[in-house]
Amino acid sequence: MDQLELLKQNWKKREQEYPNLSYDQIYDMLFKKSTSIVKWIFIISVLELLFWSGLYFITPKDSFEVIEKLGMKTFMIVFNVIHYIIVLIFIYYFYKNYVSIKVTENTKTLMERILSTRRTVRYFVIYNVAAFATTLIVINYFYYTKSDVLMQALDETYGIVPDDPQFLTIFLISQIVVGVILILLLLLFYRLVYGILLRKLKKNYKELERIEM
Amino acid sequence: MSKELEHSFVTQLEENQNIVHKICRLYTNDADAHNDLFQEITIQLWKAFPKFRGDSKFSTWMYRVGLNTAITLYRKSKRRPDTHDFESVSFKITADEYDDTVEVQLRLMYDAVKQLNDIDKALVFLYLEDKNYREIADTLGITEVNARVKMNRIKEKLRTILNP
Repeated sequence: MDQLELLKQNWKKREQEYPNLSYDQIYDMLFKKSTSIVKWIFIISVLELLFWSGLYFITPKDSFEVIEKLGMKTFMIVFNVIHYIIVLIFIYYFYKNYVSIKVTENTKTLMERILSTRRTVRYFVIYNVAAFATTLIVINYFYYTKSDVLMQALDETYGIVPDDPQFLTIFLISQIVVGVILILLLLLFYRLVYGILLRKLKKNYKELERIEM
Repeated sequence: MSKELEHSFVTQLEENQNIVHKICRLYTNDADAHNDLFQEITIQLWKAFPKFRGDSKFSTWMYRVGLNTAITLYRKSKRRPDTHDFESVSFKITADEYDDTVEVQLRLMYDAVKQLNDIDKALVFLYLEDKNYREIADTLGITEVNARVKMNRIKEKLRTILNP
């Protein structure tokens, strides 16, 4: 290809046309903040880890009382212990993947490391949503089968005596609606944040993979 | 970080800054974006510098970090629209040295390269920098054979862009 060869021959000669930054200008840059996507992925991932592992702590105490009265205490304790072991395993893998991201790797490896760090957090969130949904289903099943105990517990804890026969149905439906809305919001968040952050990386990674096919 | 480390880094980067400028020019379309990317590459180089062993040349090492930043880490700021003004102004060449036909051909070729996708650009860039296929393959993480095949396909692509 003659024109490309022509450009190659002229390539070196053109170097003087580029801006020439002084020592001080370069020195100042060392203290500027990075805007790299890895930094953003790290920040968002840590927030996600904190959010999902912190959910337990923002559950109102009253709810635990109701749960206790329904005889689900053992279930909840076992569930939480397993849950936190899994959370720790996820955090370990996230950290391990994150520190393996090095800009000095070759392009393909670098992209793979970033994607696998992301994948860890994605699985973490999927796990949490699944755990959340399971808890919701199990608790509501208990509520449903032990509705008289539930009514009593609600009365003792909150001092409300629901006399509407429709109460239980409304109660269950609203729990499900809130659950579904939460999951939808989460999916939307995912599409927006990671769509923007990882679009370019994924496109380029596919391009690199195509070369190897 | 010690002062000597800073000094050694800045001196070497100052000497080799053209490599970074060339990458910035290829991957951005205006002066602001160019400066942004230059800064990001500088930060990434600096962060990786303590682990730079000196077993490879500083410039060789810069290709990898520079391209990785441009292709993978750098995110173009959404606030700026893509403009091509910068390119057309600053790529004006010391015109008297070359005759016009050569000039036009170079210009068209460079513009064609800029239309390629990020990965193809990286291959062409390393090729223009006179890197062999082994080095190109190592930088991108592909095999040497595939780098060669890919380069031939890119040449084909460039031909199509130039002669639609």
